[in-house]
Amino acid sequence: MLRKLFTPLEKIKAPFNLYIILFWLIMVLFTWFLLTSGQKHLIPSPAQVFTGFGELMSEGLVTHIGSSLSLCFQSVLFSIIVSLIIVYLSPLPALKPLASMISKFRYLPLTGITYYFTVFFHTARGMQIAVLVVFMSTFFITSLLAVIKDIPDEEFDHARTLKCNRWETLWEVIIKGRLDYVFDVLRQNLAIVWMMIVTVESILVAEGGLGVLIKNNDKFMNHGKIFALQIVILILGLLIDVFLNFCRKSLFRYSKF
Amino acid sequence: MSYIVKDTILYVENLSVAYDGKVIIKDINITEKDVHRETVTTGQVIAVLGRSGRGKSTLFKALTGLVKPATGQVLIRDIKNSTEMDIKAKQVEEGDVGFVDQKYTLFRHKTIYQALKFALRKSSLSEKEKEDKINKYIQEWGLEKVRNQYPNELSGGQRQRTAIIEQIFSSGSYMILDEPFSGLDVGNVEDVKRSIHKIGADHTLNTVIFSTHDIELAVSLADSIYVIGYPTINGKMEHYGTVVGHFDLKAMQLAWKDFDAGHLQLVEQIKKLMLSS
Repeated sequence: MLRKLFTPLEKIKAPFNLYIILFWLIMVLFTWFLLTSGQKHLIPSPAQVFTGFGELMSEGLVTHIGSSLSLCFQSVLFSIIVSLIIVYLSPLPALKPLASMISKFRYLPLTGITYYFTVFFHTARGMQIAVLVVFMSTFFITSLLAVIKDIPDEEFDHARTLKCNRWETLWEVIIKGRLDYVFDVLRQNLAIVWMMIVTVESILVAEGGLGVLIKNNDKFMNHGKIFALQIVILILGLLIDVFLNFCRKSLFRYSKF
Repeated sequence: MSYIVKDTILYVENLSVAYDGKVIIKDINITEKDVHRETVTTGQVIAVLGRSGRGKSTLFKALTGLVKPATGQVLIRDIKNSTEMDIKAKQVEEGDVGFVDQKYTLFRHKTIYQALKFALRKSSLSEKEKEDKINKYIQEWGLEKVRNQYPNELSGGQRQRTAIIEQIFSSGSYMILDEPFSGLDVGNVEDVKRSIHKIGADHTLNTVIFSTHDIELAVSLADSIYVIGYPTINGKMEHYGTVVGHFDLKAMQLAWKDFDAGHLQLVEQIKKLMLSS
C-alpha cells in the first residue's frame, strides 16, 4: 500500500484517499501547534487566533461579512453583465478588437487609477463597485473569450446546416450553448475577485467590510485577529465556490465538466 | 435489378476550393441522376473514397454550402419549386443539404426532443403535425427511452441517429455523412447501414452521400462511388484532390445485391486506384 502511495498516477480507492487528506490536515495543524509552542513565534498560535475570532465577533464580524458579500454580489452582477455584453458581441468583426483590448487591461495596476473614479463617483460604495466592475471585467472577458475560442467549428457548422442564420448561430451556440460556462468562469475568477474586494475595501474604508477589519488590525499588529480574518475570508471564498458549482450543476443537467 | 435514370439531382461542375490561397480540391465534376426501380422505392447512395488529406471533408463542406467554392458550382434540385413536368435546379446554400460530421455534433444544451423540435422550426407543419412527426421518428429510430436525454447522456449510436433525423427534418432530401462508420462496433455499423437504407427507402429523391475508409463497406452499400485523390498530370503528382475515378455500380450490375466476386474485384480496383493517388 505504501508503495502505491508513492507511485505516479496510481489510483487510490476510498476510504484511503480520505485518510490521506485527513493525514495532511493533521500535519498542518500539528505543524502550526509546533511552530507556535515556544515563547517567541512568528505566526499566531491557534489559541491567539481563537481569541482573535471571539474579539472580531464582538466588533461586528457578521455585519462586515454581510457588507463584503453585498459588495461582492453587486460588483459581480454588474461586472458579468458588462463582460457578457462585450464578449457576446465580440464575434462581430467590427467589435472584436474591443473585447481583446479590454482583456489586455488586466495587466493595469489598481493603484493610481482609483483617483479617476473619485471624479465620477461620490459615494464610497459607488466607487468601490465601479473600481471592482472595471477590473473584474477584464478577467471575466479574458476567460469568456477563451470559452468562445474553444468552441469547435463543427458546432457552428451544425447550426448552419440547420438553417440558422448568423444571429441564431450566435444565440444557440455561443450564448445558450455555453451559458453553464459563465458559472464556471465566475467560479474560476472568484479568487481574484475576492482578493480585489478586500483590497478595495481597505482603500475606501467608509463602508466597512472584511478589508477594513484586516487593515485596522494590521495597523496594531494584531496577528491573532488577522489570521482569524484570513481563515474567515478563505472559508467564505470556498463556500461561494461550492455554491456556484452547485448552481451550475443544478441549472444545467448537461454540464458535466 | 432493372432500373431507369431520370433527371439530374446533383450536378457539380469544375468545383475547386482553396483555403488561404492553398488549393485543396480542384476540377471536381459529379453528375448524379434520380434512379427509379420498378417495385422498390430507391434513393441514391453515393460513396466518396480517398486517402486521408485528399479533400473529402472539404468537398463535403462545399456540397453543403458551408464553404464557398473558389470556382465552379454545385447545383441541386429545387424541390420546393419543381413539378413533375418542370424540374428546376438551384445553387446549393447553407441548410439545403443535411450534414452529419464524424463527431455527430448536436446542440449540447438540447435534449433529443428539443433538438428535433428545433430542426422543424421552419417547417410549415402545424404544432400537432410536428409533434406527431417527432414521435414517429423517435419511435422508428429506437430513441423512445432517451427522448429527454442530452447529447452527453447518449451513446455514439444514439447521437448519430439523432443527428441524422435532425438533418432529415431540416434539410429534406439530401444528406451527407462524413465517415459515419469510423470507430463504430459491428452492431453500430449495421445500425448505420440500416439508417442509410431507411433514408433511401423513404423517397426516391432521397440522396445519401457518405465517406468511409472501408472500401468493402462502400462497395456493398453504394450504387455510385467516387474516388478522390491526387491526380498525376504529365507524370507529376499534383497536390490537390480531384475525382480520380467514378464507378457506377448500377451500370456494373453490382448495386442492390449481396456481396460477391464482382464486388471483390471492384474493391481491388479501387484499392489500387487509391494507392496510386
